Amino acid sequence: MKREIEDRTILEKFAIDFCNIINKYVIYVVCSGFVAITHGRTRGTEDVDMIIEKISKKRFEELHNALKNGGFECIQSDNPEVLFQYLDKRTSLRYVRSEQNFFPPEMEIKFPKDELDEQQLKTRKKLPLTGLDIYFSSIEDNIAFKEEFLKNEKDLEDARHLRIIYEGQIDEDKINRIKEKIKKLR
Amino acid sequence: MRDESHKEQIERWARFVKNNPHNWRIRLKPFLDSQMIIAWRFYEKLLKTEGGGEKFKKIRNLPAFALNKKLL
Repeated sequence: MKREIEDRTILEKFAIDFCNIINKYVIYVVCSGFVAITHGRTRGTEDVDMIIEKISKKRFEELHNALKNGGFECIQSDNPEVLFQYLDKRTSLRYVRSEQNFFPPEMEIKFPKDELDEQQLKTRKKLPLTGLDIYFSSIEDNIAFKEEFLKNEKDLEDARHLRIIYEGQIDEDKINRIKEKIKKLR
Repeated sequence: MRDESHKEQIERWARFVKNNPHNWRIRLKPFLDSQMIIAWRFYEKLLKTEGGGEKFKKIRNLPAFALNKKLL
């Protein structure tokens, strides 16, 4: 167990510290590239993408202050009222460690923008293979988005990697249903 | 467009991860961390150069709020 903790990457430690705070205030889900990376994909990223449930301005203010006290700062502003407007207008907020001079990594958080994002929140799960106590969007969601929406080389390789890791455990019907929704909504 | 050998390597590595759930992390950690450490080292150097602060702000796509903060 001790070795496992020492084996954490800089990016993983960053995500764990952030999630430990945010988990006390809101339902969240980590999605996209970080999911593939925590499953062993050999590629880098500077940001971790997160969807959070829609919350009130007051609740967000509490969350923002907790992040601030926990050693994180938002790149866009220090004013929670301004930041809540960003979220409300579907702009992601970018948080970095406050002692790090705006260096990466950063956490990008956003409110759900449609049914697809809501669904990722509803079906979030911990993925034991990652060894992380973090909620992720389902493997099927990740594969569907990478194959149907993002579609660039890096994302298709991420999807291929996840398909191999979870061979025999993937719900193809679910992937197809998500892909159909992506075609309709995005 | 990458060739077939790249695809094969992705598959080989994914199978290694799948079959060695306790070993792959220790192999991958230095590689993943080094990308972050190299970026940090570079940004620190960049910020010490003339106009480096402005370049850093552009590279990191920092908005107005951050632009007003003193770097380093």
